[in-house]
Amino acid sequence: MFSNLKATVRNKETWTAKNIINFLVNNALFIFMTIAVIYIAIKNPRFLATSSIINILSQTAAYLPAALGIAGCIVLTGTDLSAGRIIGLTACISASLLQTVDLANKMWPNIGTLSIFVVIPLVMIIGAAFGAFNGFFVSKFKLHPFIVTLGTQLIINTILLRYVKMGNNNGAAISGLDKSYTKFIKDSFVSFGDISIPNYVWIAIVLTIIMWFIWNKTTLGKNMFALGANEEAARVSGVNVMGTTIAVFALAGAFYGISGFIEGARVGSNTVNTGLNYELDAIAACVIGGVSFVGGIGKIRGIIVGVFMLRLIFIGLTMMNINQDYFYLIKGAIILFACALDMRKYLVKK
Amino acid sequence: MGEKMLLEMKGISKEFPGVKALDNVSFSVRPGTVHALMGENGAGKSTLMKCLFGIYYKDAGTIILDGKEVNFKSSKEALENGVAMVHQELNQALTRSVQDNLWLGRYPKAAGFVVSESQMKKKTKEIFDELNVKVDPKTIMSTMSVSQRQMVEIAKAVSYNSKIIVFDEPTSSLTEVEVEHLFKIINMLKSKGCGIIYISHKMEEILRISDDVTIMRDGTWVATRPAKDLTMDEIIKLMVGRELTNRFPEKTNKPSEVILDVKNLSGKYTRLKDATFQLRKGEVLGIAGLDGSGRTEVLENLFGSMTKDGGTITLHGKQIENRNPKDAIKNGFALITEERRATGIFGVLDIRNNTVISSLKNYKKFGMLNDKKMKQDTDWSIKAMHIKTPSQNTKIRALSGGNQQKVIIGRWLLTQPEVLLLDEPTRGIDVGAKYEIYQLILDLANQEKGVIMVSSEMPELLGVCDRIIVMSGGRVAGEVDAKTATQEEILTLAAKYV
Amino acid sequence: MKKFIAVAMATLMAVFCFAGCGKTDTNTPSPTTTDGVNAGVFYYNFADVYITSVRSNMDKMLTDLGVKFQNFDGNNNQANQLDQINTAITNGMNLLIVNIVETSSPDAAQNAVEAAKKAGIPIIFFNREVSNEVVNSYDKCAFVGTDAAEAGHMQGKLIAEVLLKDFDKYDLNKDGEISYVMFKGQEGNAEAEFRTQFAVEDADKMLKDAGKKPLKFYNSANTSKYLVDQNGAWSSQAATDYMTTILAEYTEANNNMVELVIANNDGMAEGAISALQTAGYNKGDGKMIPVFGVDAVDSAKALIKANKMSGTIMQDAEGMAKTITALVKNVKDGANLMDNTADFNVDKNVAKIRVPYGVYTG
Repeated sequence: MFSNLKATVRNKETWTAKNIINFLVNNALFIFMTIAVIYIAIKNPRFLATSSIINILSQTAAYLPAALGIAGCIVLTGTDLSAGRIIGLTACISASLLQTVDLANKMWPNIGTLSIFVVIPLVMIIGAAFGAFNGFFVSKFKLHPFIVTLGTQLIINTILLRYVKMGNNNGAAISGLDKSYTKFIKDSFVSFGDISIPNYVWIAIVLTIIMWFIWNKTTLGKNMFALGANEEAARVSGVNVMGTTIAVFALAGAFYGISGFIEGARVGSNTVNTGLNYELDAIAACVIGGVSFVGGIGKIRGIIVGVFMLRLIFIGLTMMNINQDYFYLIKGAIILFACALDMRKYLVKK
Repeated sequence: MGEKMLLEMKGISKEFPGVKALDNVSFSVRPGTVHALMGENGAGKSTLMKCLFGIYYKDAGTIILDGKEVNFKSSKEALENGVAMVHQELNQALTRSVQDNLWLGRYPKAAGFVVSESQMKKKTKEIFDELNVKVDPKTIMSTMSVSQRQMVEIAKAVSYNSKIIVFDEPTSSLTEVEVEHLFKIINMLKSKGCGIIYISHKMEEILRISDDVTIMRDGTWVATRPAKDLTMDEIIKLMVGRELTNRFPEKTNKPSEVILDVKNLSGKYTRLKDATFQLRKGEVLGIAGLDGSGRTEVLENLFGSMTKDGGTITLHGKQIENRNPKDAIKNGFALITEERRATGIFGVLDIRNNTVISSLKNYKKFGMLNDKKMKQDTDWSIKAMHIKTPSQNTKIRALSGGNQQKVIIGRWLLTQPEVLLLDEPTRGIDVGAKYEIYQLILDLANQEKGVIMVSSEMPELLGVCDRIIVMSGGRVAGEVDAKTATQEEILTLAAKYV
Repeated sequence: MKKFIAVAMATLMAVFCFAGCGKTDTNTPSPTTTDGVNAGVFYYNFADVYITSVRSNMDKMLTDLGVKFQNFDGNNNQANQLDQINTAITNGMNLLIVNIVETSSPDAAQNAVEAAKKAGIPIIFFNREVSNEVVNSYDKCAFVGTDAAEAGHMQGKLIAEVLLKDFDKYDLNKDGEISYVMFKGQEGNAEAEFRTQFAVEDADKMLKDAGKKPLKFYNSANTSKYLVDQNGAWSSQAATDYMTTILAEYTEANNNMVELVIANNDGMAEGAISALQTAGYNKGDGKMIPVFGVDAVDSAKALIKANKMSGTIMQDAEGMAKTITALVKNVKDGANLMDNTADFNVDKNVAKIRVPYGVYTG
């Protein structure tokens, strides 16, 4: 009886022309990426050299944690503009707590050099606290995350400006980092011959796995998607809307904290400018990767593709000797192109 | 009734600032029965239910469930105590799967915080088997039909082992076949001893499915009677509080020459195929058929809001092309859509803006809009459509469904259409207000306009239209004369190509 | 069919995007060959006016020299520049010319040197100072810049000279003191620090020698005695915003008008002038608050010629580009990086070349 009700009868997968074209459209981004890679590699074979591949990998890894964090906020039909500032603050805090003992202008001369295993949880907690703050305002006062996180972005900017003037630092860049810190981030704990992959790539991989697990296998992840898809439905089903929102933002904040910790050592010199506008790249990566602002839609693998895509543009332009002025144009075009393609999937033809 | 009650609501009162929404209302449900709750919009049905679910705090009265007094604080708490609701507007996470929706808020867990997909799937299957629902638990909700989604909602209620299940307008978007399935499930739940509260405007249904009927009016209890002792006219009398001699106004329109000739109309992305029919001046042409039979598609293809794939439209002997709604409006067509809330009204805008939005070009003067003229036309519309509103600056969402519909009809009349396309013009509108909409439709025909009206309520088609074409499986299955046709005739035709 | 068109368009667009832009790039031939110099030039920020004038000079000179090169915009973001440097190295570039973003600590520059060292290629820093230790840590490393302190000293001298010519005219409220505002480009940047410090110190000294009172910061409550671009971007916008705010409170009518504007660069000087013009000053009609900058970019020179600005210290963009090009020529000819530099002003014990400043007053 109920079979009559089935509105959509799924066609058997066959290789008709229509199916092939559908396949092409649905995977346009991957195809585009492949074409770009092949094109760049033909233009400049060095693009596929080991060192170049590791370079792409490293850069993708460096920008991935922030994007993973922000993606959750986007799934909740929100966004997070405070990401870059949280990264800046946690990078400066990480660096200031992990300067070498004998540094002349050490920011906090009296603390010696802390263990990185004290600093990592600390910056995660700081990031999570700001995230929770965002989440609280979003859920409690029903403010759009755009507004809330714009507010925190500015607030954190002041905290950051004040922080770099504290101790012996006086607004200078925070550097002179302890070996234990830089080694933990930049060295490679495994290397294959002369191929060495920096540790932060492994950290990014671990973070990705953790995030995938949270998104797909835990109550928090499921509630997050339900909330993003239909807040009212989640509410009447007894989902703790406020708790979920705060948790998602706090989780994002913790990821920014780790991102800041990585950037602190990767760049080596930390100022108020560290992490500035990182959220824009992270948001761009998410939307390129199909994390939709409509809410409730997104996949971890999409985020990876998005971050990778942005790095591919960045590196590809260099490899093809294209004038840097065009970088922004191409980036902008790709964001629009990717999102338009993505939306086509959801547009219903009448 | 000496029998033990499953749910008793006694002396419930609820006051909003300025309005007494519920005044000492009592309502009881016996186990294993369907109790219909009826009343015009605003009679207090939803408020009563919201008091039951703890969405509103009741000011006075007691609720006794299974012999124990309860006071739910949220719908979640109600759900956990066996009181569930299948909403009229389905509240679901559409981008997620069936099982994700079913177990939302209480995912089965393995090892503390890890959600067990396999358990979820198994449990979903069990419930679906019990209800004879054939849906893959992993299907994404947005790809399913409304009726399938409703089944998920029912399954959810069942999965909570609910003793009381409230159905709020469950059949408003179901086809006859789907309604049959729904009734089967309701009867099954009944036999398990559940108490069903059934809220609906459709009287035929209520008389068929329910055991008891309670009727409310203006926030007060009017009557509770066994369904078998009631007739439709009695119900209407109780609901409206006055004698409604006729459900339909008298037909005085006189169809004359053919103005619209449609041949082999087909849809590019829809199942509409080779629809051929004619419309006369001053005629009301009905389109009947099951949901998904292509009724709506006929209108939307005519109007250019769906892409057509061949076929010709001839207006006054001249062939026209309605590539998009703009063309259609220029050619004298007007479409009043089925989903009033989604595609018809601009909720936060006032009545004037909602009235003039489709004919703005008439008010342009040196690139500016002429306020005075817009005001005049809005006044005309309010008067001519009998819209009940304090002023034309009232936000349209503050009006009742019937009045909203009248504003929209007024909006389209301002574009001076020759052909009016109405898709379910009386959906979700009270009995009293329906009569006024019928009167409006017939007035339009009297003014020599051509009206095409799609409806899923056959009595309404038979009562208002001159001719009815019946759609089935995307094709025109036949045409009947409304004066002589019967519901059975139409149903037979509707099933022709299913 | 529509979908097919969409796919075709997508593919075409992809190819056009890359191929089309490739063509518009006029200053670089294909880099696929490995012989000869292939330089990456990393500017800290394309948006900086002075750096842009260095860039146009460099583009011309390097093209004339016949070396391959590619420009990069660090966008005032050290992480971004670091990624660019690493990418350039993997792309086979064999000379790095770096205008480092982060100057307040040596680590960023050291990171760049380590990357160059690992690849065995020379690296030339320019404009933004890097520490001696960084330059000395690698034999194929050099720095071309100015003496950071010199600009400050010269600006101070210029200010005192201008003021002493007609002290009473500039002392608008006749209190015997000149009140001033100082716009600092960035915290922790050596150039900014020196300019901020020495411009006032040296001017004070000369005023004292001439029997006048020292300069007075317009707002006695501000103990740091400068206003800094919080984004560290030396931007004219920051100066405009500050100046507009100041002029709302400090006016001739209130008898507390700011009588002198000192800026770390011409961009900020111009920003201040823009605000002053809104308030009716520095429009070239003689009613003027003296404004001093550093860099001598073309737009500032034009303002000075039009009597809207008082003077600037010339950062010689052409001289800078010429000096860098000389070092690039060494690399091209296979000579040592610091060969043939006898004519230049080289620091003792470290491979740092100083391009002299000049004074510009129209």
